[in-house]
Amino acid sequence: MATLDQLRSHLGTLSAVLWNFGASFPVPTLDEYDDGELGFAFTAELPGASTPRAATIGLAEIWRPRAAMSFRLAEYEYDFIEFPLERRQAFHRHDETHFLAEFGVAVHEHCEEQLGRPSCSHYFGLPLDAYEAIRRFTARWGQPGPIGCAQLRCMA
Amino acid sequence: MIMQGRQTMHKRQFVSPADIAAELGISSSTVLRMIHAGDLPAIPVSARIYRVPAASFELFKAGRLRTPEPAPLGEPKKRPSLGLGETLPTRQEDRPLVSRR
Repeated sequence: MATLDQLRSHLGTLSAVLWNFGASFPVPTLDEYDDGELGFAFTAELPGASTPRAATIGLAEIWRPRAAMSFRLAEYEYDFIEFPLERRQAFHRHDETHFLAEFGVAVHEHCEEQLGRPSCSHYFGLPLDAYEAIRRFTARWGQPGPIGCAQLRCMA
Repeated sequence: MIMQGRQTMHKRQFVSPADIAAELGISSSTVLRMIHAGDLPAIPVSARIYRVPAASFELFKAGRLRTPEPAPLGEPKKRPSLGLGETLPTRQEDRPLVSRR
């Protein structure tokens, strides 16, 4: 649960973390959506190798209103695409009703040792926040070798 | 638009605490203290080993590291549809996949 001010601080902190890693990105704004939810979505380009493209971290969150001017995190997408090493890792929470009905879980992961050629379309995952996602992404950033898709459990 | 990254790109993407210590003329343990204090962004490789993005070190030297500030509010807009483009998986193989395209 978070208030509007807390969400502004949350997004400002994420922005500072990425900036301090040397990332380039449009100044993210906390947006109010037409259904009363709050959220943000932006993609940051990481410094370093830029062939064929720079590595990117994409962060998106949607916060649903609750009582007393507070909001709870309802959906997220945290994506890391390392174009120079042609691989992708992502942590998602969306279409919760579908995933709960089919697999009994709210979240899933994507993992591609070879970008665009996943061995499995969706993997089981555990809920995490954007800071943990950034920590995991940057731990892989620029490091050769597998990113660990084989250790994940495939949904389907 | 916040632009940096490529402008501060180095030949080396990451530098070690030892590299930083040598450049700044301080000890590696001082660099590690700066990392632990949050004064210098770093990526843990293991419990005791860190690597620092070269771009972060450049920002540090230039005094351009940022402290968090509340994000601005944007204009009201249409809610984004997360997961758009994904084909949602189903448990039973004989059931069709649900497309979100």
